[in-house]
Amino acid sequence: MININKIKITKSERIILVFIILLGVFTLGPLIIIKNKCLFVKNYDPNNILFKNRENIAVLNANCGNVIIELYPNISPKAVERFKTLIRSGAYDDAAFHRVIENKLIQAGDLEFGKRENLNYGKVGTGKSGLGLIKSEIDADFKYKKGSIGLARTFQMNTEDSQFFIILQDEPLFEGEYTPIGKVLHGIEVLEKVKFVPKFHIVPRPDFINSLKMLD
Amino acid sequence: MILFRPILIFFILLSPLKANTIYDLIKIPNLEIYETNTDNKLRYLYAARPFKLGTNVKKNIYCFDSNKKTLDKKYKIIKKNMNRYSSDFLKKISLKYIVLCEDLSIAKINTAGIPNSMTRTLILDIKFNEAYFERAIHHEVFHIIKDNYKDLFEESVWKNFNKKKFKYSECSTCNNKWNLDTYNKTKGFFTEYSKSTASEDMAEVFSHLMFYQDKIYNDDPIIKKKIQYIIKNILKIDNNFRFKS
Repeated sequence: MININKIKITKSERIILVFIILLGVFTLGPLIIIKNKCLFVKNYDPNNILFKNRENIAVLNANCGNVIIELYPNISPKAVERFKTLIRSGAYDDAAFHRVIENKLIQAGDLEFGKRENLNYGKVGTGKSGLGLIKSEIDADFKYKKGSIGLARTFQMNTEDSQFFIILQDEPLFEGEYTPIGKVLHGIEVLEKVKFVPKFHIVPRPDFINSLKMLD
Repeated sequence: MILFRPILIFFILLSPLKANTIYDLIKIPNLEIYETNTDNKLRYLYAARPFKLGTNVKKNIYCFDSNKKTLDKKYKIIKKNMNRYSSDFLKKISLKYIVLCEDLSIAKINTAGIPNSMTRTLILDIKFNEAYFERAIHHEVFHIIKDNYKDLFEESVWKNFNKKKFKYSECSTCNNKWNLDTYNKTKGFFTEYSKSTASEDMAEVFSHLMFYQDKIYNDDPIIKKKIQYIIKNILKIDNNFRFKS
């Protein structure tokens, strides 16, 4: 009868094993976390939130979740009317966040050259909705704080159409310059995760708006 | 041809990112905010570094940054004078941004200010001759007014106020009539610089009205006509405008 003694792991072997496991965790862990940029982003469900004016609430869905937006028809009636019209027609669905400046602003809504199916890098940012231009509404006092939303325009006033921007920091110089249409109530962190590329004016292979809908 | 489009797109995408709000708004580089919280909604900006401007490759407008002490001192004077224009009036004349810098020049000629109606901006040289500094502010404001209301300030009408033999120069810097001292005996013109062009003459009348206010007494019939013309047309822009503070 052969007597085989049980092989015991030595202390030094145990230390090396623990070290290898820890090395694996610290090496692969961050990679997994970094790859999933939405990991710590809260996704707001509008149905779980009580709103005073549901008719002025819009929900923008992007890669990392929902952005709950309140629109201000009392401040910019024509601009909000245009924005709602385009939302209700589904025009913003699959529109690119074509201009994104880190921690500063994101811009979307080029319905001509900025849609997922026909993104034109040479022209994105210059496209129109087909509904015509509308006049700037800049007379009301409106503070452009982080999360404020305005209609984009060219260098000239009264050239607003479908493109809009959301600011990711306070911008006092925007006051009286751009037509305000609303503010992000919840989910600004979703927008902070939208793809940007340093030093690129227009984002190559940008993120898209999955959907933009009115709550009611 | 196959390579042309991707190369073109690459260069378009790689255009330098101008994440500078001020530059985006008024196309002047190297500026920072001095004051934006003002009663008449003017925004005061200052040159943090020198800047060059121009419409083509040869940029011929230069201005330089200033030290804080000078900036603070001159800002008070400029604000005091600019506060005489209401936000309503400033909106009507499309003036929103005041840029403060020093040693402002255009084509190497020093100037008190450069107005730009398109960008709603007035660049002011805060080191401009102190003797005329305050009056020059109103002079430059008038240029913005005139740019926006060309039909109200017709040079052909204005020229008829002068004696028949008198002719303005082709441009404001086409001769050496640059002296801004107010004449004791006006003879149709407040200053030597008034004689340069009709536009500068109007601006000089307006600036005298604004600066000297009711201290202006003149029995010169030509000057009287010019003053009446300016007052009449400024009130057409804004009936509530006050020449006296």
